[in-house]
Amino acid sequence: MSETPRIALKAVTKRFGAETAVDAISLDIAAGEFCVLVGTSGCGKSTTLRMINRLIEHSDGEIHIDGQPIREIDPQRLRRRIGYAIQSTGLFPHWTVARNIALVPGLLKWSRARTRERVEELMDLLGLAPSEFADKYPAQLSGGQAQRVGVARALAADPEILLMDEPFGALDPITRESLQEELRRLQGRIRKTIVFVTHDMDEALKLADRLVVMRAGRIVQQGSPDELLAAPADDFVTSLLGGRDRGLKRAALTPVARLMRRVDAGLPVEPAVAPDEDLRLALSVMLWHRVECLAVVDGRGRVCGSLHLSDLMRAGI
Amino acid sequence: MIAGLAPSLSRYGRGLVPLLWGAGLVGLLTWLPRAEAWFRWLAPEAREVIYPRDDFAVLLLNHLALVGVASGLAILLGVGAALAVTRPWGRDFLPLASQLAAMGQTFPPVAVLALAVPSLGFGALPTVVALVLYGLLPILRNGLAGIEGIDPAVREAARGMGMSPGQILWRLELPLAAPVMLAGIRTSVTVGIATAAIGSTIGAKTLGDPIIAGIVNGNSAYILQGALLIGVLALTLDSLFEAVTPRRG
Repeated sequence: MSETPRIALKAVTKRFGAETAVDAISLDIAAGEFCVLVGTSGCGKSTTLRMINRLIEHSDGEIHIDGQPIREIDPQRLRRRIGYAIQSTGLFPHWTVARNIALVPGLLKWSRARTRERVEELMDLLGLAPSEFADKYPAQLSGGQAQRVGVARALAADPEILLMDEPFGALDPITRESLQEELRRLQGRIRKTIVFVTHDMDEALKLADRLVVMRAGRIVQQGSPDELLAAPADDFVTSLLGGRDRGLKRAALTPVARLMRRVDAGLPVEPAVAPDEDLRLALSVMLWHRVECLAVVDGRGRVCGSLHLSDLMRAGI
Repeated sequence: MIAGLAPSLSRYGRGLVPLLWGAGLVGLLTWLPRAEAWFRWLAPEAREVIYPRDDFAVLLLNHLALVGVASGLAILLGVGAALAVTRPWGRDFLPLASQLAAMGQTFPPVAVLALAVPSLGFGALPTVVALVLYGLLPILRNGLAGIEGIDPAVREAARGMGMSPGQILWRLELPLAAPVMLAGIRTSVTVGIATAAIGSTIGAKTLGDPIIAGIVNGNSAYILQGALLIGVLALTLDSLFEAVTPRRG
Protein backbone atom coordinates (compact mmCIF):
# COMPACT_ATOMS: atom_id res chain seq x y z
CA MET A 1 0.00 0.00 0.00
CA SER A 2 1.82 3.09 -1.19
CA GLU A 3 -0.99 5.57 -0.73
CA THR A 4 0.00 9.24 -0.99
CA PRO A 5 0.12 10.66 2.52
CA ARG A 6 -2.24 13.56 3.13
CA ILE A 7 0.64 15.63 4.47
CA ALA A 8 4.28 14.85 3.77
CA LEU A 9 7.24 16.72 5.24
CA LYS A 10 10.53 15.95 3.53
CA ALA A 11 13.67 17.14 5.28
CA VAL A 12 11.92 20.37 6.23
CA THR A 13 14.11 23.01 7.83
CA LYS A 14 13.23 26.41 9.20
CA ARG A 15 15.87 28.94 10.08
CA PHE A 16 15.21 32.26 11.77
CA GLY A 17 18.37 34.21 11.08
CA ALA A 18 21.23 32.14 12.43
CA GLU A 19 18.98 29.97 14.54
CA THR A 20 17.56 26.70 13.30
CA ALA A 21 14.08 26.23 14.72
CA VAL A 22 13.22 23.09 12.79
CA ASP A 23 16.04 20.88 11.61
CA ALA A 24 15.44 18.66 8.59
CA ILE A 25 12.42 16.78 9.86
CA SER A 26 10.56 14.25 7.77
CA LEU A 27 7.07 13.13 8.57
CA ASP A 28 4.24 11.46 6.68
CA ILE A 29 0.73 11.91 7.98
CA ALA A 30 -1.93 9.65 6.49
CA ALA A 31 -5.46 10.76 5.65
CA GLY A 32 -7.69 10.53 8.70
CA GLU A 33 -4.79 10.28 11.11
CA PHE A 34 -4.71 12.19 14.40
CA CYS A 35 -1.09 13.23 14.74
CA VAL A 36 0.06 14.99 17.89
CA LEU A 37 3.31 16.96 17.98
CA VAL A 38 4.56 17.10 21.52
CA GLY A 39 7.63 18.51 23.18
CA THR A 40 8.89 21.20 25.51
CA SER A 41 8.50 24.91 24.71
CA GLY A 42 10.63 26.07 21.81
CA CYS A 43 11.16 22.61 20.35
CA GLY A 44 9.76 23.73 16.99
CA LYS A 45 6.41 21.96 17.14
CA SER A 46 4.37 25.12 16.63
CA THR A 47 6.69 26.28 13.87
CA THR A 48 6.25 22.92 12.16
CA LEU A 49 2.48 23.26 12.37
CA ARG A 50 2.49 26.80 11.01
CA MET A 51 4.67 25.81 8.10
CA ILE A 52 1.94 23.45 6.89
CA ASN A 53 -0.45 26.32 6.11
CA ARG A 54 2.38 28.66 5.13
CA LEU A 55 1.91 31.07 8.01
CA ILE A 56 5.64 30.45 8.21
CA GLU A 57 7.55 29.66 5.03
CA HIS A 58 9.96 26.76 5.32
CA SER A 59 13.58 27.49 4.49
CA ASP A 60 14.53 24.11 3.08
CA GLY A 61 13.01 20.78 2.17
CA GLU A 62 9.54 20.18 0.85
CA ILE A 63 6.04 20.01 2.25
CA HIS A 64 3.44 18.24 0.16
CA ILE A 65 -0.30 18.09 0.62
CA ASP A 66 -1.91 15.24 -1.34
CA GLY A 67 1.32 15.00 -3.29
CA GLN A 68 1.42 18.67 -4.30
CA PRO A 69 4.20 20.93 -3.01
CA ILE A 70 2.55 23.69 -0.97
CA ARG A 71 4.87 26.29 -2.48
CA GLU A 72 2.89 25.82 -5.69
CA ILE A 73 -0.39 26.68 -4.00
CA ASP A 74 -1.47 30.27 -3.37
CA PRO A 75 -1.16 30.71 0.43
CA GLN A 76 -4.64 32.16 0.85
CA ARG A 77 -6.27 29.36 -1.15
CA LEU A 78 -4.19 26.82 0.73
CA ARG A 79 -5.30 28.18 4.12
CA ARG A 80 -8.94 28.22 3.12
CA ARG A 81 -8.82 24.47 2.65
CA ILE A 82 -7.03 23.84 5.94
CA GLY A 83 -8.83 24.33 9.25
CA TYR A 84 -6.87 26.27 11.85
CA ALA A 85 -7.62 26.56 15.57
CA ILE A 86 -5.38 28.28 18.11
CA GLN A 87 -5.14 28.56 21.87
CA SER A 88 -6.45 32.11 22.18
CA THR A 89 -9.19 31.31 19.61
CA GLY A 90 -8.67 34.60 17.73
CA LEU A 91 -12.42 35.03 17.31
CA PHE A 92 -13.36 38.37 15.78
CA PRO A 93 -14.70 40.40 18.71
CA HIS A 94 -16.99 42.54 16.52
CA TRP A 95 -18.67 39.57 14.84
CA THR A 96 -21.36 37.31 16.25
CA VAL A 97 -20.70 33.63 16.84
CA ALA A 98 -22.58 32.67 13.67
CA ARG A 99 -20.66 35.17 11.57
CA ASN A 100 -17.35 34.03 13.05
CA ILE A 101 -18.09 30.43 12.13
CA ALA A 102 -19.16 31.52 8.64
CA LEU A 103 -15.82 33.23 7.98
CA VAL A 104 -14.22 30.74 5.59
CA PRO A 105 -17.48 29.84 3.76
CA GLY A 106 -17.79 33.59 3.24
CA LEU A 107 -14.28 33.80 1.80
CA LEU A 108 -15.13 30.87 -0.47
CA LYS A 109 -18.31 32.66 -1.56
CA TRP A 110 -20.76 29.99 -0.51
CA SER A 111 -24.43 30.87 -0.96
CA ARG A 112 -26.17 32.37 2.04
CA ALA A 113 -28.47 29.39 2.48
CA ARG A 114 -25.66 26.83 2.32
CA THR A 115 -23.57 28.84 4.79
CA ARG A 116 -26.40 29.18 7.27
CA GLU A 117 -27.19 25.51 7.09
CA ARG A 118 -23.53 24.61 7.64
CA VAL A 119 -23.19 27.00 10.58
CA GLU A 120 -26.20 25.49 12.32
CA GLU A 121 -24.95 21.98 11.63
CA LEU A 122 -21.59 22.80 13.20
CA MET A 123 -23.09 24.52 16.20
CA ASP A 124 -25.20 21.45 16.85
CA LEU A 125 -22.16 19.21 16.35
CA LEU A 126 -20.20 21.16 18.97
CA GLY A 127 -23.03 21.42 21.46
CA LEU A 128 -23.76 25.11 20.99
CA ALA A 129 -27.51 25.61 20.66
CA PRO A 130 -27.91 27.96 17.64
CA SER A 131 -30.93 29.68 19.15
CA GLU A 132 -28.91 30.56 22.22
CA PHE A 133 -25.45 31.27 20.82
CA ALA A 134 -25.73 32.32 17.17
CA ASP A 135 -26.19 36.02 17.94
CA LYS A 136 -23.82 36.27 20.89
CA TYR A 137 -20.50 38.06 20.70
CA PRO A 138 -17.24 36.34 21.69
CA ALA A 139 -16.93 38.48 24.82
CA GLN A 140 -20.15 36.91 26.09
CA LEU A 141 -18.78 33.35 25.91
CA SER A 142 -16.92 31.26 28.48
CA GLY A 143 -13.46 29.99 27.58
CA GLY A 144 -14.78 26.56 26.70
CA GLN A 145 -17.60 27.94 24.57
CA ALA A 146 -15.22 30.27 22.74
CA GLN A 147 -12.93 27.36 21.98
CA ARG A 148 -15.87 25.35 20.62
CA VAL A 149 -16.66 28.26 18.34
CA GLY A 150 -13.00 28.32 17.33
CA VAL A 151 -13.14 24.64 16.40
CA ALA A 152 -16.46 25.11 14.58
CA ARG A 153 -14.93 27.97 12.60
CA ALA A 154 -11.94 25.79 11.69
CA LEU A 155 -14.28 23.06 10.45
CA ALA A 156 -16.71 25.39 8.68
CA ALA A 157 -15.69 24.82 5.07
CA ASP A 158 -15.28 21.08 5.72
CA PRO A 159 -11.50 21.04 5.23
CA GLU A 160 -9.66 17.74 4.90
CA ILE A 161 -6.93 18.93 7.23
CA LEU A 162 -7.25 20.52 10.63
CA LEU A 163 -4.31 22.22 12.35
CA MET A 164 -4.69 22.81 16.06
CA ASP A 165 -2.12 24.77 18.06
CA GLU A 166 -2.61 24.03 21.76
CA PRO A 167 -6.33 24.68 21.37
CA PHE A 168 -7.19 23.67 24.93
CA GLY A 169 -4.08 25.08 26.61
CA ALA A 170 -5.79 28.01 28.27
CA LEU A 171 -8.79 26.15 29.66
CA ASP A 172 -9.38 24.89 33.18
CA PRO A 173 -8.72 21.16 33.66
CA ILE A 174 -12.37 20.11 33.72
CA THR A 175 -13.36 22.03 30.59
CA ARG A 176 -10.18 20.85 28.90
CA GLU A 177 -10.92 17.23 29.62
CA SER A 178 -14.47 17.45 28.37
CA LEU A 179 -13.34 19.17 25.18
CA GLN A 180 -10.66 16.52 24.62
CA GLU A 181 -13.32 13.87 25.06
CA GLU A 182 -15.53 15.67 22.58
CA LEU A 183 -12.79 16.15 20.04
CA ARG A 184 -12.10 12.43 20.16
CA ARG A 185 -15.78 11.64 19.65
CA LEU A 186 -15.95 14.22 16.85
CA GLN A 187 -12.91 12.77 15.14
CA GLY A 188 -14.59 9.36 15.22
CA ARG A 189 -17.34 10.85 13.07
CA ILE A 190 -15.57 13.28 10.77
CA ARG A 191 -12.22 11.49 10.27
CA LYS A 192 -10.17 14.56 9.40
CA THR A 193 -6.44 14.58 9.16
CA ILE A 194 -5.53 16.42 12.33
CA VAL A 195 -2.16 17.84 13.31
CA PHE A 196 -2.34 18.87 16.94
CA VAL A 197 0.35 20.63 18.95
CA THR A 198 0.52 20.39 22.72
CA HIS A 199 3.00 20.24 25.56
CA ASP A 200 0.52 18.39 27.76
CA MET A 201 1.54 14.74 27.56
CA ASP A 202 -1.71 13.44 29.05
CA GLU A 203 -3.63 15.29 26.36
CA ALA A 204 -1.29 13.91 23.71
CA LEU A 205 -1.65 10.33 24.95
CA LYS A 206 -5.41 10.63 25.09
CA LEU A 207 -5.92 12.04 21.61
CA ALA A 208 -3.16 10.76 19.38
CA ASP A 209 -3.21 7.98 16.83
CA ARG A 210 0.40 8.89 16.41
CA LEU A 211 2.65 10.80 18.73
CA VAL A 212 5.60 12.74 17.39
CA VAL A 213 8.02 13.76 20.10
CA MET A 214 10.16 16.75 19.17
CA ARG A 215 13.20 18.23 20.78
CA ALA A 216 15.37 21.13 19.62
CA GLY A 217 13.86 21.10 16.14
CA ARG A 218 14.20 17.38 15.56
CA ILE A 219 11.90 14.40 15.84
CA VAL A 220 13.13 12.22 18.68
CA GLN A 221 10.61 9.43 18.36
CA GLN A 222 7.26 8.75 16.78
CA GLY A 223 4.69 6.00 17.12
CA SER A 224 1.40 5.13 18.72
CA PRO A 225 1.00 6.17 22.37
CA ASP A 226 1.26 2.54 23.37
CA GLU A 227 4.48 1.99 21.41
CA LEU A 228 6.09 5.03 22.96
CA LEU A 229 5.09 4.08 26.47
CA ALA A 230 6.30 0.54 25.95
CA ALA A 231 9.67 1.54 24.52
CA PRO A 232 10.69 5.16 24.92
CA ALA A 233 13.72 5.90 22.74
CA ASP A 234 15.78 7.73 25.34
CA ASP A 235 15.74 9.45 28.71
CA PHE A 236 14.18 12.58 27.26
CA VAL A 237 11.16 10.71 25.92
CA THR A 238 10.94 8.76 29.17
CA SER A 239 10.86 11.90 31.26
CA LEU A 240 8.40 13.59 28.89
CA LEU A 241 6.18 10.54 29.23
CA GLY A 242 6.18 11.07 32.94
CA GLY A 243 9.25 9.09 34.02
CA ARG A 244 8.28 6.56 36.64
CA ASP A 245 4.69 7.74 36.42
CA ARG A 246 4.29 6.18 33.00
CA GLY A 247 2.98 2.91 34.41
CA LEU A 248 -0.13 4.79 35.36
CA LYS A 249 -0.17 6.75 32.11
CA ARG A 250 -0.17 3.54 30.16
CA ALA A 251 -2.89 2.12 32.41
CA ALA A 252 -4.91 5.21 31.57
CA LEU A 253 -4.86 4.21 27.87
CA THR A 254 -6.22 0.70 28.45
CA PRO A 255 -9.93 0.07 28.96
CA VAL A 256 -11.07 -2.21 31.77
CA ALA A 257 -12.81 -4.41 29.21
CA ARG A 258 -9.48 -5.66 27.88
CA LEU A 259 -8.40 -7.37 31.09
CA MET A 260 -11.62 -8.21 32.81
CA ARG A 261 -12.76 -11.78 33.39
CA ARG A 262 -16.18 -12.34 31.89
CA VAL A 263 -17.53 -14.18 34.89
CA ASP A 264 -19.54 -12.92 37.77
CA ALA A 265 -17.29 -13.82 40.72
CA GLY A 266 -20.04 -12.95 43.15
CA LEU A 267 -18.26 -9.75 44.16
CA PRO A 268 -20.19 -6.95 45.87
CA VAL A 269 -21.58 -4.40 43.37
CA GLU A 270 -19.79 -1.63 45.23
CA PRO A 271 -16.93 -0.77 44.61
CA ALA A 272 -17.18 -1.30 40.86
CA VAL A 273 -15.90 0.07 37.54
CA ALA A 274 -17.44 0.22 34.06
CA PRO A 275 -15.91 -1.75 31.16
CA ASP A 276 -15.13 1.41 29.19
CA GLU A 277 -13.36 3.08 32.09
CA ASP A 278 -9.58 2.86 32.14
CA LEU A 279 -7.26 0.75 34.23
CA ARG A 280 -5.70 3.74 35.93
CA LEU A 281 -9.06 4.57 37.41
CA ALA A 282 -9.62 0.93 38.35
CA LEU A 283 -6.29 0.88 40.18
CA SER A 284 -7.23 4.00 42.04
CA VAL A 285 -10.55 2.48 43.10
CA MET A 286 -8.76 -0.69 44.30
CA LEU A 287 -6.28 1.36 46.25
CA TRP A 288 -8.96 3.47 47.81
CA HIS A 289 -11.10 0.57 48.90
CA ARG A 290 -8.12 -1.68 49.67
CA VAL A 291 -9.42 -4.54 47.53
CA GLU A 292 -7.66 -6.68 44.94
CA CYS A 293 -10.65 -7.33 42.75
CA LEU A 294 -13.54 -5.25 41.51
CA ALA A 295 -16.91 -6.01 39.99
CA VAL A 296 -17.32 -4.65 36.45
CA VAL A 297 -20.77 -3.15 36.03
CA ASP A 298 -22.12 -2.13 32.63
CA GLY A 299 -24.20 0.89 31.75
CA ARG A 300 -27.46 -0.78 32.72
CA GLY A 301 -26.18 -1.61 36.19
CA ARG A 302 -25.60 -5.31 35.49
CA VAL A 303 -22.47 -7.07 36.67
CA CYS A 304 -20.71 -8.23 33.51
CA GLY A 305 -17.39 -9.41 34.88
CA SER A 306 -14.61 -8.86 37.38
CA LEU A 307 -11.20 -7.23 37.35
CA HIS A 308 -8.30 -8.66 39.31
CA LEU A 309 -5.12 -6.93 40.41
CA SER A 310 -3.16 -10.07 39.63
CA ASP A 311 -4.30 -9.90 35.98
CA LEU A 312 -3.05 -6.35 35.79
CA MET A 313 0.30 -7.43 37.16
CA ARG A 314 0.58 -10.33 34.76
CA ALA A 315 -0.37 -8.21 31.74
CA GLY A 316 2.38 -5.85 32.72
CA ILE A 317 0.54 -2.74 31.71
CA MET B 1 -44.89 50.99 24.93
CA ILE B 2 -43.59 52.82 27.97
CA ALA B 3 -40.74 50.39 28.35
CA GLY B 4 -39.75 50.91 24.73
CA LEU B 5 -39.69 54.64 25.12
CA ALA B 6 -36.50 55.06 27.12
CA PRO B 7 -34.12 53.32 24.69
CA SER B 8 -35.68 54.97 21.64
CA LEU B 9 -35.43 58.33 23.38
CA SER B 10 -31.78 57.78 24.10
CA ARG B 11 -31.18 56.68 20.51
CA TYR B 12 -32.86 59.78 19.10
CA GLY B 13 -31.29 61.78 21.89
CA ARG B 14 -27.84 61.15 20.46
CA GLY B 15 -28.87 62.64 17.14
CA LEU B 16 -30.82 65.42 18.79
CA VAL B 17 -27.96 66.98 20.73
CA PRO B 18 -25.93 68.18 17.70
CA LEU B 19 -29.17 69.46 16.13
CA LEU B 20 -29.86 71.50 19.24
CA TRP B 21 -26.35 72.93 19.32
CA GLY B 22 -26.58 73.67 15.59
CA ALA B 23 -29.85 75.49 16.11
CA GLY B 24 -28.20 77.41 18.94
CA LEU B 25 -25.41 78.41 16.58
CA VAL B 26 -27.84 79.68 13.96
CA GLY B 27 -29.78 81.48 16.66
CA LEU B 28 -26.59 83.11 17.88
CA LEU B 29 -25.76 84.28 14.34
CA THR B 30 -29.11 85.98 13.90
CA TRP B 31 -29.26 87.37 17.41
CA LEU B 32 -25.76 88.84 17.75
CA PRO B 33 -26.13 91.70 15.19
CA ARG B 34 -29.22 92.88 17.10
CA ALA B 35 -27.82 92.44 20.57
CA GLU B 36 -26.14 95.79 21.06
CA ALA B 37 -28.08 96.44 24.25
CA TRP B 38 -26.82 93.19 25.76
CA PHE B 39 -23.16 93.90 25.07
CA ARG B 40 -23.07 97.65 25.79
CA TRP B 41 -22.15 97.13 29.46
CA LEU B 42 -18.97 95.28 28.42
CA ALA B 43 -17.69 98.20 26.41
CA PRO B 44 -19.46 101.33 27.63
CA GLU B 45 -17.00 103.74 25.97
CA ALA B 46 -16.62 102.07 22.62
CA ARG B 47 -18.04 103.55 19.44
CA GLU B 48 -19.17 100.15 18.22
CA VAL B 49 -20.33 97.30 20.41
CA ILE B 50 -21.06 94.64 17.79
CA TYR B 51 -18.08 93.60 15.66
CA PRO B 52 -18.68 95.54 12.45
CA ARG B 53 -16.03 94.59 9.93
CA ASP B 54 -17.54 91.28 8.69
CA ASP B 55 -20.78 89.44 8.90
CA PHE B 56 -20.51 86.74 11.60
CA ALA B 57 -21.89 84.17 9.16
CA VAL B 58 -19.07 84.90 6.72
CA LEU B 59 -16.49 84.51 9.47
CA LEU B 60 -18.11 81.28 10.60
CA LEU B 61 -18.14 79.80 7.11
CA ASN B 62 -14.54 80.82 6.54
CA HIS B 63 -13.57 79.34 9.88
CA LEU B 64 -15.35 76.11 9.06
CA ALA B 65 -13.79 75.96 5.61
CA LEU B 66 -10.29 76.35 7.06
CA VAL B 67 -10.88 73.66 9.67
CA GLY B 68 -12.66 71.45 7.15
CA VAL B 69 -9.83 71.54 4.62
CA ALA B 70 -7.18 71.15 7.30
CA SER B 71 -8.99 68.30 9.07
CA GLY B 72 -9.68 66.53 5.83
CA LEU B 73 -6.00 66.62 4.98
CA ALA B 74 -5.00 65.66 8.52
CA ILE B 75 -7.37 62.67 8.47
CA LEU B 76 -6.06 61.51 5.10
CA LEU B 77 -2.44 61.88 6.16
CA GLY B 78 -2.87 60.66 9.74
CA VAL B 79 -4.97 57.59 9.02
CA GLY B 80 -2.89 56.90 5.92
CA ALA B 81 0.35 57.08 7.88
CA ALA B 82 -1.04 54.96 10.72
CA LEU B 83 -2.06 52.29 8.23
CA ALA B 84 1.18 52.51 6.27
CA VAL B 85 3.49 52.01 9.23
CA THR B 86 1.47 49.03 10.47
CA ARG B 87 1.75 47.17 7.13
CA PRO B 88 4.60 44.69 6.81
CA TRP B 89 6.37 46.93 4.29
CA GLY B 90 6.10 50.02 6.49
CA ARG B 91 6.94 48.49 9.85
CA ASP B 92 10.41 50.03 9.81
CA PHE B 93 8.87 53.46 10.23
CA LEU B 94 6.58 52.53 13.12
CA PRO B 95 8.93 53.70 15.92
CA LEU B 96 9.55 57.00 14.13
CA ALA B 97 5.81 57.59 13.65
CA SER B 98 5.06 56.76 17.29
CA GLN B 99 7.73 59.18 18.48
CA LEU B 100 6.47 61.94 16.21
CA ALA B 101 2.94 61.41 17.40
CA ALA B 102 4.02 61.58 21.03
CA MET B 103 6.27 64.58 20.52
CA GLY B 104 3.65 66.58 18.63
CA GLN B 105 1.38 66.64 21.64
CA THR B 106 3.90 68.65 23.61
CA PHE B 107 4.13 71.33 20.92
CA PRO B 108 1.86 74.37 21.42
CA PRO B 109 -0.27 75.30 18.37
CA VAL B 110 0.82 78.94 18.51
CA ALA B 111 4.40 77.81 18.02
CA VAL B 112 3.42 75.83 14.94
CA LEU B 113 1.69 78.89 13.58
CA ALA B 114 4.65 81.13 14.33
CA LEU B 115 6.93 78.69 12.56
CA ALA B 116 4.67 78.55 9.51
CA VAL B 117 4.63 82.31 8.85
CA PRO B 118 8.28 82.86 7.85
CA SER B 119 8.13 80.11 5.27
CA LEU B 120 4.60 80.56 3.96
CA GLY B 121 3.77 84.19 4.61
CA PHE B 122 0.43 85.46 5.93
CA GLY B 123 -3.14 84.38 5.28
CA ALA B 124 -5.10 81.19 4.96
CA LEU B 125 -2.34 78.95 3.61
CA PRO B 126 0.00 79.00 6.63
CA THR B 127 -3.04 78.64 8.88
CA VAL B 128 -4.14 75.51 7.04
CA VAL B 129 -0.61 74.12 7.12
CA ALA B 130 -0.32 74.75 10.85
CA LEU B 131 -3.74 73.21 11.47
CA VAL B 132 -2.85 70.15 9.43
CA LEU B 133 0.45 69.65 11.25
CA TYR B 134 -1.10 70.08 14.64
CA GLY B 135 -4.26 68.11 13.86
CA LEU B 136 -2.31 65.26 12.30
CA LEU B 137 -0.77 64.09 15.53
CA PRO B 138 -3.80 63.04 17.60
CA ILE B 139 -5.12 61.25 14.52
CA LEU B 140 -1.84 59.47 13.93
CA ARG B 141 -1.44 58.58 17.60
CA ASN B 142 -4.97 57.19 17.94
CA GLY B 143 -4.75 55.47 14.59
CA LEU B 144 -1.64 53.64 15.76
CA ALA B 145 -3.18 52.87 19.15
CA GLY B 146 -6.32 51.55 17.49
CA ILE B 147 -4.50 49.22 15.12
CA GLU B 148 -1.76 48.15 17.53
CA GLY B 149 -4.45 47.52 20.15
CA ILE B 150 -5.99 44.67 18.15
CA ASP B 151 -5.34 41.29 19.75
CA PRO B 152 -2.52 39.70 17.68
CA ALA B 153 -4.31 36.34 17.95
CA VAL B 154 -7.24 37.78 15.99
CA ARG B 155 -4.96 38.85 13.17
CA GLU B 156 -3.13 35.51 13.28
CA ALA B 157 -6.43 33.65 13.05
CA ALA B 158 -7.57 35.87 10.18
CA ARG B 159 -4.38 35.08 8.29
CA GLY B 160 -4.62 31.41 9.14
CA MET B 161 -8.17 31.25 7.80
CA GLY B 162 -6.96 32.58 4.45
CA MET B 163 -8.05 36.23 4.52
CA SER B 164 -6.11 38.49 2.17
CA PRO B 165 -4.31 41.56 3.57
CA GLY B 166 -7.04 43.76 2.08
CA GLN B 167 -9.79 41.72 3.71
CA ILE B 168 -7.96 41.87 7.03
CA LEU B 169 -7.71 45.64 6.71
CA TRP B 170 -11.34 46.30 5.77
CA ARG B 171 -13.17 43.65 7.75
CA LEU B 172 -10.98 43.43 10.81
CA GLU B 173 -8.53 46.24 11.44
CA LEU B 174 -10.59 49.27 10.41
CA PRO B 175 -13.81 48.25 12.19
CA LEU B 176 -11.92 47.28 15.33
CA ALA B 177 -9.76 50.40 15.34
CA ALA B 178 -12.62 52.74 14.33
CA PRO B 179 -13.77 53.83 17.81
CA VAL B 180 -10.23 54.79 18.86
CA MET B 181 -9.50 56.41 15.50
CA LEU B 182 -12.71 58.42 15.64
CA ALA B 183 -11.79 59.62 19.12
CA GLY B 184 -8.52 60.94 17.70
CA ILE B 185 -10.27 62.65 14.82
CA ARG B 186 -12.73 64.16 17.26
CA THR B 187 -9.95 65.59 19.41
CA SER B 188 -8.17 66.87 16.33
CA VAL B 189 -11.22 68.65 14.89
CA THR B 190 -12.27 70.14 18.22
CA VAL B 191 -8.78 71.43 18.90
CA GLY B 192 -8.67 72.64 15.30
CA ILE B 193 -11.79 74.77 15.80
CA ALA B 194 -10.10 76.52 18.68
CA THR B 195 -6.69 76.73 17.05
CA ALA B 196 -8.00 78.15 13.77
CA ALA B 197 -8.95 81.32 15.66
CA ILE B 198 -5.26 82.02 16.15
CA GLY B 199 -5.03 82.15 12.37
CA SER B 200 -6.53 85.63 12.63
CA THR B 201 -3.22 86.86 14.03
CA ILE B 202 -1.59 86.05 10.71
CA GLY B 203 -4.33 87.39 8.50
CA ALA B 204 -6.67 84.46 7.92
CA LYS B 205 -10.35 85.38 8.12
CA THR B 206 -11.77 83.39 11.02
CA LEU B 207 -13.97 83.72 14.06
CA GLY B 208 -10.76 84.81 15.77
CA ASP B 209 -11.05 88.21 14.01
CA PRO B 210 -13.44 89.74 16.58
CA ILE B 211 -11.28 88.38 19.38
CA ILE B 212 -8.06 89.84 18.02
CA ALA B 213 -9.79 93.12 17.22
CA GLY B 214 -11.22 93.16 20.72
CA ILE B 215 -7.81 92.61 22.28
CA VAL B 216 -6.19 95.28 20.13
CA ASN B 217 -8.94 97.87 20.74
CA GLY B 218 -9.65 96.92 24.33
CA ASN B 219 -13.22 95.99 23.38
CA SER B 220 -14.40 93.08 25.53
CA ALA B 221 -17.72 92.86 23.67
CA TYR B 222 -15.93 91.79 20.47
CA ILE B 223 -13.96 89.19 22.37
CA LEU B 224 -17.06 87.69 23.92
CA GLN B 225 -18.87 87.55 20.57
CA GLY B 226 -16.03 85.66 18.90
CA ALA B 227 -15.56 83.37 21.88
CA LEU B 228 -19.28 82.54 22.05
CA LEU B 229 -19.39 81.57 18.40
CA ILE B 230 -16.22 79.47 18.59
CA GLY B 231 -17.40 77.74 21.75
CA VAL B 232 -20.81 76.84 20.38
CA LEU B 233 -19.28 75.74 17.07
CA ALA B 234 -16.84 73.45 18.90
CA LEU B 235 -19.66 71.98 20.99
CA THR B 236 -21.81 71.41 17.91
CA LEU B 237 -19.09 69.46 16.13
CA ASP B 238 -18.11 67.57 19.26
CA SER B 239 -21.69 66.43 19.85
CA LEU B 240 -21.86 65.45 16.21
CA PHE B 241 -18.90 63.12 16.75
CA GLU B 242 -20.47 61.78 19.91
CA ALA B 243 -23.55 60.92 17.87
CA VAL B 244 -21.71 59.08 15.10
CA THR B 245 -19.20 57.16 17.27
CA PRO B 246 -20.20 53.49 17.03
CA ARG B 247 -21.04 51.73 20.26
CA ARG B 248 -20.78 47.99 20.66
CA GLY B 249 -22.99 45.86 22.82
